[in-house]
Amino acid sequence: MKIPNLKLKSQLALFNALSKALIVTLLVIIVPWVVSEISIHDTDDILIQKLDQVIELVDSLGIDNYIDMESEYKTFGSYNILKEEYISIEPLDNDSLIDIIEFSQRVIEDDIVDYRVLSYSIQENGNNYLIEIGKSISTIYRFQSNLKRFTFIFLIVIISLTLILDLSFIQYLLKPFEKIVKKLKTTNHPTSFNYSPLKTSTSDFEYLDETIRSLMQKIEVAFNDERDYISNVSHELLTPVSIIQSKLDNILNEGELKEEDMIKIFESKKTLRRLTNLVRTLLMMSRIENKEYILTEKVNINDTLRSVIEEIEDRISAKELTLKSELNAKEFIFDGNENLLFTLFYNFVNNAIRYTDKGYIKIETLKQENQFLVIISDTGIGIAKDKIPEIFSRFKNSNETKDSYGLGLALSKKICNYHKIKIEVISDRNKKLDGKTIGSSFILNFPF
Amino acid sequence: MRILIVEDEKSLASEIKQFLEKEEYNCDMAYTGKDASELLSVNPYDFVLLDIGLPDYNGLDLIKEAKEYSSEAYFIVITARGELEDKIKGFNLGADDYLPKPFSLLELLSRIQAITRRKFGQRMAEIEFGNFILDTTKKHLQYKDQGIDLTKKEYKLLSYLVLNRNRILDRLQLTEHIWGEFFEDDYDSNYIDVHIKNIRKKLSKYDDTNWIKTVRGIGYKFEIE
Repeated sequence: MKIPNLKLKSQLALFNALSKALIVTLLVIIVPWVVSEISIHDTDDILIQKLDQVIELVDSLGIDNYIDMESEYKTFGSYNILKEEYISIEPLDNDSLIDIIEFSQRVIEDDIVDYRVLSYSIQENGNNYLIEIGKSISTIYRFQSNLKRFTFIFLIVIISLTLILDLSFIQYLLKPFEKIVKKLKTTNHPTSFNYSPLKTSTSDFEYLDETIRSLMQKIEVAFNDERDYISNVSHELLTPVSIIQSKLDNILNEGELKEEDMIKIFESKKTLRRLTNLVRTLLMMSRIENKEYILTEKVNINDTLRSVIEEIEDRISAKELTLKSELNAKEFIFDGNENLLFTLFYNFVNNAIRYTDKGYIKIETLKQENQFLVIISDTGIGIAKDKIPEIFSRFKNSNETKDSYGLGLALSKKICNYHKIKIEVISDRNKKLDGKTIGSSFILNFPF
Repeated sequence: MRILIVEDEKSLASEIKQFLEKEEYNCDMAYTGKDASELLSVNPYDFVLLDIGLPDYNGLDLIKEAKEYSSEAYFIVITARGELEDKIKGFNLGADDYLPKPFSLLELLSRIQAITRRKFGQRMAEIEFGNFILDTTKKHLQYKDQGIDLTKKEYKLLSYLVLNRNRILDRLQLTEHIWGEFFEDDYDSNYIDVHIKNIRKKLSKYDDTNWIKTVRGIGYKFEIE
């Protein structure tokens, strides 16, 4: 499974929450053990203190004060009514030294009670005695559970408090960063960049902002240089053409030429026209490469196609072709450049007309599973399958019989790439299906 | 009509001058923005043909300046820098038309005439040939009282021929006028011929005169005695 990319802020928050969860888990495992260790240790300390007091008492009052040697059991025992504690002294037969603390069960008044018992042997009047001091485990447990509850509440409060503090601090800390990201997101062109410096107390962000600003400045300069260059090239190429054309116009206008000379001049004008179109198309392509066209117009694709049809339908009827217009996609509004899109559709339809001598030109828009398509198809001669990949290259001509300068489709491809429109071509040369020529279909898939 | 041609390319300026003077316009030339500015401040012009790519001046500033002199001149902006047309229109500085270089001189003339017709209104708007009347404001052709149905392109073509009557119009000039910059590499296409054929057919229903003469290898000529 692919983990989706998260914002830095969310990643930090997530890491923060996860690390805290990890700490809580560890504590949940460790705290009961620590608490029980602490409470046992604490209990043992109390038992030892009590033992010291008992020994002191025995020393000062004498063992006889506790053990009645006349009685049958010769033992001393004392416990409170809840049997939470007991103290016993009894004679010890051997003279082994005992000094242990352990869990153990004792029967008191027919009840079996679990105790933490401190056993200790002493020597008094030449006899060995065993002193036992016990504390019932239930009291230890009670203490333990109180301690646990308190520790957990304390933990939860502390962790939620730090979590909230951390998150707000991350939020505060990353605000300048988010501003930088937002600034970059709203910049769709180097000239539209906002150069006002960012207010921040974090030197890293200051540095980032400065670097981005200086980079943007460089890009803008490069962009402007490129634009000036294109504009100058355009001027240098088109001005001489304009001069020659005006001279030719004037010569023709004098009207004193022989017919064949007039035809020669007209032919020269045609050649100039070819040159002009070539230069204009190349310039348009450079401008697209230099991203000089804005892409933020809300273009109604059906309307744009309608204007293309209006502009070109006389050519369709001049060739006695049928126009099938099926603009079925509703609300087909696309963010782009209307002039470029117009040129794009115009080129495709014009091409379709050029290579079709019989049948129809079909212009369709349709919406299909979240995608918008424009399909321009014809019943023309088609394109050989192996030539399809190269029809969009500059100066390659797919059709040997008609002269083409191979820039129209290259320009179309550029416009499509600029708008992130995918082109699919379905065609084959002179292929027939059910007696009809299949022609070519150009399918333009618009991103949404 | 007095026209100021502001163009730093001397040879182009003089070609434009030669052409327009033949059409009986008075032309002054300015090769720099400074000269143009001086001329504008002194003389009243009807039209200024302005190349906005001047070396010493931002051409668009010149329009602003002219408006300050309360000049009533119409500005036709010429450019070879390929500035985007909508950008120039977007400047909204009072340019009345726009022509990208290279343009045909006839197209320039037709733009001047169109603005003139707008300016002087009805007086110049109707052109008669035989019993036909071409109304350039309503974009409409009629024979006596009867309206004739022409498609948009047919009207555009016919009116261009009529407005430039008795002059040879080559196919390129006609194509440029009708399709503007959109026509590209179909230099030998016969679309113009098809349109002319259709127009002739429509006119011949009313009148036997062959108004539109074919000039072999070049184009057409609309003849009115």
